[in-house]
Amino acid sequence: VDILLKAVGDTPIMKTKKWAVERTRTIQGLVDFIKKFLKLMASEQLFIYVNQSFAPSPDQEVGTLYECFGSDGKLVLHYCKTQAWG
Amino acid sequence: MTDDKDVLRDVWFGRIPTCFTLYQDEITEREAEPYYLLLPRISYLTLVTDKVKKHFQKVMRQEEVSEIWFEYEGTPLKWHYPIGLLFDLHASNTALPWSITVHFKNFPEKDLLHCYSKDVIEAHFMACIKEADALKHKSQVINEMQKKDHKQLWMGLQNDKFEQFWAINRKLMEYPPEDSGFRYIPFRIYQATTERPFIQKLFRPVASGGQLHTLGDLLKDVCPSAISPEDGEQKTQVMIHGIEPMLETPIQWLSEHMSYPDNFLHISIIPRPTD
Repeated sequence: VDILLKAVGDTPIMKTKKWAVERTRTIQGLVDFIKKFLKLMASEQLFIYVNQSFAPSPDQEVGTLYECFGSDGKLVLHYCKTQAWG
Repeated sequence: MTDDKDVLRDVWFGRIPTCFTLYQDEITEREAEPYYLLLPRISYLTLVTDKVKKHFQKVMRQEEVSEIWFEYEGTPLKWHYPIGLLFDLHASNTALPWSITVHFKNFPEKDLLHCYSKDVIEAHFMACIKEADALKHKSQVINEMQKKDHKQLWMGLQNDKFEQFWAINRKLMEYPPEDSGFRYIPFRIYQATTERPFIQKLFRPVASGGQLHTLGDLLKDVCPSAISPEDGEQKTQVMIHGIEPMLETPIQWLSEHMSYPDNFLHISIIPRPTD
């Protein structure tokens, strides 16, 4: 599935924002990937939000989120080092 | 005909008699007695087992104790799934009390999320409610609420206060008068036998012609293997809160009355017992 990553606040911005990800990739897997890419420490927190309204569970599959909350052929995810939308 | 509100109460106050036993390989200073507890179906394991933890910690050495986790017949139990769902999915047709094994070592990182504090449970619970409202109302209702309303939902669950919880939750169960129901139904279908964690898709409660979609319609659409062919034997049970609702039940009604406090319909598809 196609995802688009958007940074929130003063979180570093990914140079590549668009990614094609397997359906079964979990949110936790995505978090680990973004942290590596942005060279963040494993201990630093990273929050991911769907529709700028909720933070999905780490074990949730990206494919399911895409089916329920994707639009225009992609799933937009906001990421932030601090809690943005609770 | 039972009042619909009675259904809400029956769902809220459902309990599962459970026997907690310490895993035999845990190192104890004395014999560990099993601990019996009535678990609320609608709550989460780590929210309601403080007494269990205290009970077993009493017989263990301090250094042996780390994060508690639970297992049933070798399967680690995900604390972030509601208790009723875990029971229906794994132990529904077995003898009561439900026998759960308690562990303090070798936390299964691959299978379970950590639960370092009650705040983690609250965050998870609120995230589920928000996701459900994103499906039902494009998040309009939950976003219009104040922070104290959100807090009241959590406190109602945590303190087992039906009225306190529903004073706010009823707003999440409303829909505009010009519609016949929610935009989409928040549901998750679980099968113990499959690899994928659950099925969750967009599903409208009302057809374009105005007819109400039923539980049967939902299953036909997203999980057709759960419904057997007309002439065949029904090999599976479709279970919510320990009962098998009739497949003709409108899904909108189920969503309003038999959702868990997180506003999701957690549905288990389990093998029908053959006896």
